[in-house]
Amino acid sequence: MSVIFPSLNWFEELRNRFNSNQRDNQVGVGTCDALVGVACGEKLFTVQFEAFECTNVMELEDESALENTDFYLELHPNDWKDMIINIKENNGAGLSFTLNTLDLELSDGLAKSWTEDQYRQDLFFRFNQTFQYFFDASADVETVFEEMDIA
Amino acid sequence: MTISKEELDLAPAVREFGEDNNLDLSWLDTRGEWGVRAEPSKRGLTLGDIQLGSYGEPGDHSDNMTGRPRGARARNDAYRVGGYKIRSKADIWLSNAHVLYEESLQRQWSSATDVPWNTIKPLPDDIERAQCQLATFLTEVEFVAAEVPGRWLAATTPDYFEPRMFLISQVMDESRHLDVFRKRAFANGGGLMQRPNVTTSGTVGSIDLSNDFTEMSSRLHITGEGSVLTIFRMGELMAYNEAEKTIYRLAAQDEARHVAFGVMHLRYLAETEPERKEEIHCYLDEGEGALVAGNQNPASRDTAQSEALAILLGGGEKNFDEGYRKLMAVRKRQAREYVQRVRSAGFGERFENGRANQELLAYTR
Amino acid sequence: MTNKDNEPQDSARVRSRRRVNQRLRDAVSKETSGDLKDVEIPPKKLDWMKRTYQWGVKADVTDSGLTIGALNVGIYGEIPDRWDDQSRMPRGAYPMPGVPPIGYSISEKRDLWADNAADLYEEAIQRRWTPATDIPWEAIGPLPDDVEAAVCQLCTMLCQHANTEIETLGTWLHQMSYGYHEVKLFLATEMFDAARHFEVFRKRALSNGGGLGLELKGDVKRMIIESRGGWSETALLLYLLRGLFTFTIYRYGSILANNDAEKAIFEKSVQDKARHLSYGLEHLRYAITRQDDKDLVFNNLLGIGERLVARECKEPIVLEPLAVIFGGGVEGAQSGMRTAQRLMSDYVNLYLSSLRSIGIDRSDSLSNDLKSYLL
Repeated sequence: MSVIFPSLNWFEELRNRFNSNQRDNQVGVGTCDALVGVACGEKLFTVQFEAFECTNVMELEDESALENTDFYLELHPNDWKDMIINIKENNGAGLSFTLNTLDLELSDGLAKSWTEDQYRQDLFFRFNQTFQYFFDASADVETVFEEMDIA
Repeated sequence: MTISKEELDLAPAVREFGEDNNLDLSWLDTRGEWGVRAEPSKRGLTLGDIQLGSYGEPGDHSDNMTGRPRGARARNDAYRVGGYKIRSKADIWLSNAHVLYEESLQRQWSSATDVPWNTIKPLPDDIERAQCQLATFLTEVEFVAAEVPGRWLAATTPDYFEPRMFLISQVMDESRHLDVFRKRAFANGGGLMQRPNVTTSGTVGSIDLSNDFTEMSSRLHITGEGSVLTIFRMGELMAYNEAEKTIYRLAAQDEARHVAFGVMHLRYLAETEPERKEEIHCYLDEGEGALVAGNQNPASRDTAQSEALAILLGGGEKNFDEGYRKLMAVRKRQAREYVQRVRSAGFGERFENGRANQELLAYTR
Repeated sequence: MTNKDNEPQDSARVRSRRRVNQRLRDAVSKETSGDLKDVEIPPKKLDWMKRTYQWGVKADVTDSGLTIGALNVGIYGEIPDRWDDQSRMPRGAYPMPGVPPIGYSISEKRDLWADNAADLYEEAIQRRWTPATDIPWEAIGPLPDDVEAAVCQLCTMLCQHANTEIETLGTWLHQMSYGYHEVKLFLATEMFDAARHFEVFRKRALSNGGGLGLELKGDVKRMIIESRGGWSETALLLYLLRGLFTFTIYRYGSILANNDAEKAIFEKSVQDKARHLSYGLEHLRYAITRQDDKDLVFNNLLGIGERLVARECKEPIVLEPLAVIFGGGVEGAQSGMRTAQRLMSDYVNLYLSSLRSIGIDRSDSLSNDLKSYLL
C-alpha cells in the first residue's frame, strides 16, 4: 500500500516500522528521548522518541509549536523527496543523503533550533543514529510524493 | 565495630541467636535508609530511578572522606583515606549526569566489529596520506580526552558519583576513538604520519594542567570537544567509503555527549555560583584564543591537519583550494555552534559585551 | 518536551520560520563558491606528506574484526622496553621537536605491560552489558527482611570494592606512558567495568524494599590506595588480594542469587572480573620475570597484605551477610557460615595457585589468619 509524503500517515507508517525492530544492524543506537520537528514546505510534524521507541507522531497546525521541539529538520520539499528515494534505492541513506551530511551541506543546516538553544539542538548529534534509522525505515514504505515543488 | 549499644535495636531473639552461634548480626539493624523500592521504567532500571529518599540528590557539600557509597551508614572508625579534593557540589555537578551516563552505556560500539573495514578499498596516494595524517592527529588528540577526565575520578567524593561515572564513560569513549583512528591509519596500506606540529598540551592554559575541574571542563568539553565534534560530523563529507562514514558518525554521537556534559555543568555552575562567572569567562577567553590559534583544532589554518582536511574535502591535492574553502565553511559552523553552546550554558553575555574573541566571531558572520 | 533539562535558555524568543526555498545542491555551491569565494588560501606546504617511519602497512581484518593487536605490524609492533617520550605521541608516529613534556612517571615496559592487554581490551568491548536493560529487574520479588538486609549489606560492600578499583585506576592511569597504549586502553575498560559494578550493586540494593548497609572500615582499600611504590605493587594488592576475593564472591553468585536478576548480575560481573585478573596476573608475571628481586618485594607486601585482608574479613559485615544469604535467613546462618567458610577456602586456594602461576610460592609462608580459612 502506498503512502503519501508528506503526511501524518507516512510518519505513522515510519513509526510502526521503526518500532517493529525488523531492520537489523542497528549499530550505535540506544535509548533516545527527544521531540523532533519535521518541516516540509508548509507541512509540519513532530516525532516523539521515548526510551527505545517512537511513541508519537503529530501534524502541527501552527509553526510556533516548533518551540516545544528539541530541534526540527527542514529541507526543501524536493530534497526530502530525493532523500527518501535515495534511502529506497540503497536500503538506507547513501553517503550523500545521511541526515548528518545534509546538515553539513546546507549553510543553515538541516537541524535547527526554534529557541536557538544549541544544547537541545545537539540532541540531533547525540541520537543521530536513531534518527537515521528512523528515516532509513522508509526504505520499506511505498512512498508517493505530493506535488509541492516550490522551487 | 564502634557502633554504640544504643544504636543496636536487634530483636532479642536475633541477638540471642547471634550470641549462641558466635555471630554479631548487629549490621542487621545498622544501615542506611530502609524500605527503598526503585521501579524499572521503560528505559530499564536507570540511575535516575534509584535517586530516592536519602539516596537521591546529594547535598551542596560532602564530608565523605572514606569512600562510602552515598546513603550508606557511616561509621566513626573508618579510615579517611579518600583525600577527595572535590567535595563541593557546584565544582562538578550537573543536573543530568546520570542520564548522559546511561546514554553512554546504551550507545557503546566496537571499533573492531561495528565498522565495515572491508569496504575500504585502495585510494589515491594523496587521499590515503591525508586520511592517515588526520588519523594520526586525531589519535593523539583523543589521547588527551581519554586521560584528563580520569585524573578527577580519585579526586572526587563518591557522593557525587553520577558525574564521576559519566567521566569514566568518557574515558572509555575516547579510548575507543584513539583506537579507531589508529586502526584507520593501518587499514589501507598507509601508516602513521607526523604527530601534531603544534603543542596540544603541557602548557598553562592547556586542558591537561587545569587545577580546577570547571576550568578543565570548559576547555575539554566546550572548546576542545566542541570543535572535534564538528570535525567528526564533517567526516561524512570526507569519507571515501562506508567504514570511514561509520567511524565518524559513531564517534560524533559520543562526542556530542561529552559536549553536553560540559554545557550542563557550566549551566549548573552559573546558576548556583554566579560569583564564579567572571573567572569562568577568563577560561573561555583562553579557550577561544586556542580555538583561533588552533592548537587542538584540526580546522585551524596552516597546519598539517588543515592541509590534510583540505585535500580530503576537495577530493585530492589538485582540488586543494576548493577543499580549503569547504574547510572554512566548516570552521564557520564550528564557531556558530560554539557561540550557541556558550549561550546555552548561561555565558552568552560575552557575545554582547565585546568580550568574545573577535577573530572567532568573524567566522560566525 | 521529554527532557526536563532541555528547557529553553535565555536566547529563546518569538520568531517565525524562514522557509527553505533553496535546493540542497544550490546551497552547497553558493556557500563554497559564493560566500567563501574570496577567502584567503595559504600556500600549500605539504611537507607532512612524506613524514612517516613506515608506509604501506595493512593490518589484517579477521573474523574478530580489526583488532588493536592486529595493528602491531612492522615498526608499529616494536614495543620498546623503555618509552622516553614524555608527550602523547602515538607509538610509531613521526616525531616533531619542541613538544613540552607532560610528566609520565611510568616509562618502563616491565612496570605495566601484559602481553594479553590488547586482546582483553577487545574482549571487554565485545562483552559489554548494560545494568539498566540487561538485568531482568522485574524478576526480583519480595524476600524475608533478614535476607534482604544481607543482600543489601553485601551490595554495599561490593559497591565499595568497585569504588576502590575506580579510584585506584584513576590514580595510576594518567601516570602511564603512551608508548604502551594497549595497557592504557585495557585499563580504561576495567574502570568502565568497575563503574558498572558500582552501579549494578547500588541498583540492586535500592530495588527491593531495602537500602544500603554499613560501610567497611577500609583496611584493604587503605592498603591499595596508599600503595605508591609503583603500579606493579598496587596491582599486586588490587588484583591478587582484593580482586580474587571479589571474584570468588561473584563466582558464588549462583548460590547467592535469590532470583534471575541477581543471577544475571553475578554472571555478568564474574566475566568482567576474570578479565581484570587475567591482566593483573599476566602483568605481575611479566614484572617478576624482568626484575631480580621483584618476587621478594611482592612476598614482603603480601605478608602484610594478607593480615589486612584477614582483619577485614573478620568484620561481621563481610562474612555474616554471606552466611545469612547462604542459609536462607538468620536461622540458617550457622549452616550458611559453613558455605561462607568454603568460599573463603576457595579464595585462599585460588590466591595460592594464582601466586604459583606467576612464580611465587607462599604455601609455607601464608599468614596464619588466611591459613585458618583453608578447609
